Amino acid sequence: MAENTMQAMPPVRPPRGLSRDAVVRLLTLPGVIVSLVVLVLPLLVALYMSFTDWSPRSSSFFEAGFVGFDNYSELTVYDTRFLYAVLRTLCIAAVCLSLEFAIGLGLAVLFLREFRGKSLLFSAFLSPMMILPVVVGYTFWMLFQSNGPINQMVELCFGPGSSPEWFRSAPLAVLAVIITEVWHWTPLFFLILLSGLNAVPENPVRAAVILGASPRQVFWRVVMPMLKPVIVVAFVIRTMEIIKLFDEVYMLTRGGPGSATETISLYIYKLAFNDFQLAYGAAAAFLVLLGCLLLIHLLLSPVRDQLLKGGR
Amino acid sequence: MHAKKLSPLLAVVMGLALAVTLFPVFWIVMTAIKPPTDWNASPAIWIPSEPTHINFLTLFDPEAIGAYGVGGVSQSATKAVWGSVRASIIATALSVSIGLLSAIGITRYGNGSKIAPLVILSGRMFPPAAIAVPFVIIFSNVGLTDSYVGLIAIYAAATLPFSTWMLKSFVEDLPREVEEAAMIDGRSRLMAHLTVTIPLIRGGIFATTLFIFILNWSEFMFSLVLSYTNISTIPVQLARYVTATAGTLYGVQAALAVLAMVPLMLMGYLIQSHLARGMTFGAIKQ
Repeated sequence: MAENTMQAMPPVRPPRGLSRDAVVRLLTLPGVIVSLVVLVLPLLVALYMSFTDWSPRSSSFFEAGFVGFDNYSELTVYDTRFLYAVLRTLCIAAVCLSLEFAIGLGLAVLFLREFRGKSLLFSAFLSPMMILPVVVGYTFWMLFQSNGPINQMVELCFGPGSSPEWFRSAPLAVLAVIITEVWHWTPLFFLILLSGLNAVPENPVRAAVILGASPRQVFWRVVMPMLKPVIVVAFVIRTMEIIKLFDEVYMLTRGGPGSATETISLYIYKLAFNDFQLAYGAAAAFLVLLGCLLLIHLLLSPVRDQLLKGGR
Repeated sequence: MHAKKLSPLLAVVMGLALAVTLFPVFWIVMTAIKPPTDWNASPAIWIPSEPTHINFLTLFDPEAIGAYGVGGVSQSATKAVWGSVRASIIATALSVSIGLLSAIGITRYGNGSKIAPLVILSGRMFPPAAIAVPFVIIFSNVGLTDSYVGLIAIYAAATLPFSTWMLKSFVEDLPREVEEAAMIDGRSRLMAHLTVTIPLIRGGIFATTLFIFILNWSEFMFSLVLSYTNISTIPVQLARYVTATAGTLYGVQAALAVLAMVPLMLMGYLIQSHLARGMTFGAIKQ
């Protein structure tokens, strides 16, 4: 009896031990400290550095000369290599995400059918996204070698002598990067879209069928609108990741031939760690950060509530 | 949804997709067991003439491949393998413990629930190249470049958003009343969280731990810019092998790639049902 009344009422006395505030602080402080040290501190250093002409070759970091907005004006007005890297990354992102979405959706729809060995095939189709990006880049670098298996298949289809040198031609190198990226991350779209499709309630679909809708109409008019939040989440997550594209390209082409496959991350990496123009690299990094923030803000606005509250 | 049978045409489409999906995995595994004569053959050899484990031996003893009359493997990968194991395990433990505290704090007390999530999320969205530049400068001023301490600190911090978010979605699934009951029974707030919440979501903690391990094990750029001679990780060693030998020692490189890939794939299959949750910061729970 006593137990029942206790459960129905909120605790009269506050729990023993530390006060509520102390517990909250204890729980959240480690995370906050790490975020501050790892996010805010580097950002401040980068911001300060981007206004100097510092290079590890010239002087100590604390004696760097102040140059105002010179780095930024150079980047936005004169540095065509940077601008091309930005545009190239955005184009690769657009092409890859479209393909990943289309193929992923197609596969997910196939998985709504009945067939044997479904769970085994499901695991098999997820495999690529479990492999580390560097290994994916390396594997495709081997596959695309001039005497590699992809060229073997090309010769089989188009006759001897038709096989290209993938990494010597700019368009083919970009194509190789896109193929690699699509192979690697289509499974994520497949996974997210399939979990979305499986969660579509049956009743609206049944109702539409009874009202005489064709399967095509059911899919595009009933199922797809219900899938929209899931699709947005998938696109947001993948956009965030593909803007950072680095590992696979580093292993595949190092940005070559020339700078034909240079992504934003690769360009900043080369600036800072090959040419030692760290201050200039920091300015480029900061521009990218600002761009990312803006892009993230735009992308997240439709799903912010969903991400913050967690769960459908 | 209505479950129809797969028509023969669609079955063929799916078979083709499966072949494309699995072919690169097949190729890397086959290359790893090819003897040196098969590595760079033209036309390429699909199935090794004599499967061998010499490539894996060579990773830990560069002289081993000499039996085949091949030289040029200058570095052993032992340090990289241990470096990856050590950095990934410690960083994962840190990331999950801190993330667990934050997850409970955010879920149960709504502390900073307006700003903290966005700060944490944004942290994950910045290109690592952009954060790597200031890190190299800060670390070189405090002597943390080329040390595991520095690498582990970055790994733990970089995966903290993922661990916090994934764990938060598991804590949310647990009814608040369970903890409140424990508090009424006389436990302090902290003890209620530590002794009631944590055991009840241990499945979620396990999945999160493996997921964070996968992320740490895969990390490339930070270890690339922060390791010179003292430290190394498998991805960096793989890149070094390709550069150092102009990419001709396919078998040895592939062996290292397989060594890096197999544990991750096993873990991935193990937490398959939680992958969507992890990748989408808990927005999709399946």
